Amino acid sequence: MKDTMKTIEVKVERTIPAPAVEVFDAWLNPKVPGNPWSMAEKLILNPEVDGFFYWLIQGTSHYGRFTELERPGRIQHTWMSRSTSGEESTVTVTFQERGEETLMTLVHSGLPDTDGGRGHEKGWNFFLDNFSKKFAAA
Amino acid sequence: MNLMDRLTDVLTAISHPSRRAIIGTLAESGPTRFTDVAKPFDVALNAVTKHLKLLERAGLIRREKQGREVLISLRPEPLRLVAGWVHEYERFWNERLDQFEQHFKDKKENKPNKEKEEKKR
Repeated sequence: MKDTMKTIEVKVERTIPAPAVEVFDAWLNPKVPGNPWSMAEKLILNPEVDGFFYWLIQGTSHYGRFTELERPGRIQHTWMSRSTSGEESTVTVTFQERGEETLMTLVHSGLPDTDGGRGHEKGWNFFLDNFSKKFAAA
Repeated sequence: MNLMDRLTDVLTAISHPSRRAIIGTLAESGPTRFTDVAKPFDVALNAVTKHLKLLERAGLIRREKQGREVLISLRPEPLRLVAGWVHEYERFWNERLDQFEQHFKDKKENKPNKEKEEKKR
């Protein structure tokens, strides 16, 4: 099954106005908004190599195992949820200092390239909701 | 034209800020006269015509003659292609990282104020 399933990779980058070590620590702190552990309905988080996480949000469970933690440059863990169709995907986050700022790169690889993953209707609504805000301002 | 070619046309159409602004205007105002579409732009009418041609090729606008005027209206359906193309996790991480980035921006902006407040005390 795994051999035939087509997978894709998603890459997102941001420049964060803080030193890498601060950004790295904030990424693992569930109290900081925006990281994958925040806003949890239930959270179990053990950020060490071979440590596990469980994150329940909006009724959807996410599981994973940390495979790399190199403070302050790199975090890698596996990621499984309904959207990965039972496959183990990988999230790699790197933090590169750029002067007083940090270039943060998140790569989510091994994602099944399915219609469900692409979420047509959901995507359409999302797009329209953000449409005026993002595009009219440009 | 196959799906990927159509998607390329739509992505090309929305890749320029002026064309996105035109889409924004049409989404807000409904059918609009060419002169009113061109008004906010500080460029030659020729350039606006070129933008409209690209939007038309992507199927994002329709021109309709009404008497001596040409009315331009938005047809948002092709944007569905873009929404379908973007993966759920691409949106998920973009939303998350937007919040994460905002947290640091807020922190940076609030810092000088806090220091000032502390100095006042």
